[in-house]
Amino acid sequence: MKVSVVSRSGREVVKGGIELKDSAKVADLQEAIHAKTKKYYPARQRLTLPAQPGKSGKPVVLSQKASLSEYCEKGSGSLTVVFKDLGPQVYYSTLFFWEYVGPLIIYPIFYYLPVYKYFGYEGERVIHPVQTYAMYYFCFHYFKRIMETFFVHRFSHATSPVSNVFRNCAYYWTFGAYIAYYCNHPLYTPVSDLQMKIGFGIGVVCQIANFYCHILLRNLRSPTGSGGYQIPRGFLFNIVTCANYTTEIYQWLGFNIATQTVAGYVFLAVAAAIMTNWALGKHSRLRKLFDGKDGQPKYPRRWVILPPFL
Amino acid sequence: MAAVKRAYLAVYNWAVFFGWAQVLYFAVDALLRSGHEGVYAAVERPLQLAQTAAVLEILHGLVGLVRSPVSATLPQIGSRLFVTWGILWSFPETRTHILVSSLVISWSITEIIRYSFFGTKELFGSAPSSLLWLRYSSFLVMYPTGISSEVGLIYIALQFIKASEKYCIRMPNKWNYSFDYFYASILVLLVYVPGSPHMYTYMLGQRKKALANSKTA
Repeated sequence: MKVSVVSRSGREVVKGGIELKDSAKVADLQEAIHAKTKKYYPARQRLTLPAQPGKSGKPVVLSQKASLSEYCEKGSGSLTVVFKDLGPQVYYSTLFFWEYVGPLIIYPIFYYLPVYKYFGYEGERVIHPVQTYAMYYFCFHYFKRIMETFFVHRFSHATSPVSNVFRNCAYYWTFGAYIAYYCNHPLYTPVSDLQMKIGFGIGVVCQIANFYCHILLRNLRSPTGSGGYQIPRGFLFNIVTCANYTTEIYQWLGFNIATQTVAGYVFLAVAAAIMTNWALGKHSRLRKLFDGKDGQPKYPRRWVILPPFL
Repeated sequence: MAAVKRAYLAVYNWAVFFGWAQVLYFAVDALLRSGHEGVYAAVERPLQLAQTAAVLEILHGLVGLVRSPVSATLPQIGSRLFVTWGILWSFPETRTHILVSSLVISWSITEIIRYSFFGTKELFGSAPSSLLWLRYSSFLVMYPTGISSEVGLIYIALQFIKASEKYCIRMPNKWNYSFDYFYASILVLLVYVPGSPHMYTYMLGQRKKALANSKTA
């Protein structure tokens, strides 16, 4: 079959189109486009069907594993796809590694090295036990995230635009330094022993719960599957859609109860806002997909992210 | 309901217009009579009133009363309030500087044009093309002069900020927090670096749209 590849403005991206076997898959088309254009490797390509005049709504994105014939108009042996360049891409695992490795290194710098003398604080620094536990807790958290990135998570998209590396690293590294500065400060004032224990206790329990949530999410996807949505079930997912975000937020709350810094609470608020945004999107996607029609199960009534508020 | 909205916006825009007209009048009057050192004293009250009233515009954007995106109004109003209250009001040593004159004149000319433009639109349904042109062209000069004055005054204030310890929170305290107004002001200055081109190009885009529309209207 003949496939013509056009840009959103109508210009031909591959002159003369591409000839493929009738049994070809979308992935074969992507390889062919890459071969013809050299710089657009498959991860950079976003292929959609042309918008139907009169029909509104989001364009249909071609799924990599599908056969091209599924997208052809009945009877015709040809297909037109709209091409968009997503820009240079990195693997999600690469992106996450660089985001998380920053805080993992930056926090101990403030703990171990004499950085505060550059802020004007000379002399010996007394280190309170809570500051030592906080350092282990914080670093373990980011170490856990890196391990989960490589060994637990199954990503729906393999890649992310390169520009996200700078944006995300700025976020994590800046907040990491901001929190580390105050938690390890020579004039740091610790909370009571009881409050520290309660805080770290909550944090540890929630980190374990969070890990279990990630395992459950992983098992929703097969290793060869290309994303796709399932209704999450089991453990906290029975009552809240994004239980993984819930446990992550409460885990930071535990850290803040133990360490009591405004910087830590600011980070908690911003992180919770970002995750809430994601959770609302995920929840509404799942409810739309699992609408109880055409054999689809109906998505059960659940909290979105933070019972009893949302 | 639409009529109430129009009436409210008409009153708002003309009231603030009047405030800025006062600012410009007092500023030029003081400049001619006593020189640039006396400009701040002459404009202080109407300036603070008119500038602070602009906070309402963020609200207007949030509730959808006006179309302007919060991403454009917030940085502009933020920087104006910072200079008005955080620099000029808080550090009197800056008030006699000549940049105060260029600042106040840039701001008041821009705002007089802007508020009369919106006020006329709300009252009569449309604004004369001369006013439209002014509203979408004066920024070409006023943004550079205004922004330079803002940046200049913040820079001049830095030495007084550092010496005074005003608005600073020091450690130790039970919330393990500190705030240094000197470094915060430097951060604000740094934000002007990407912020100014962002605002200028936003207005250039708005100008293109507005002047093209008026040709076809």
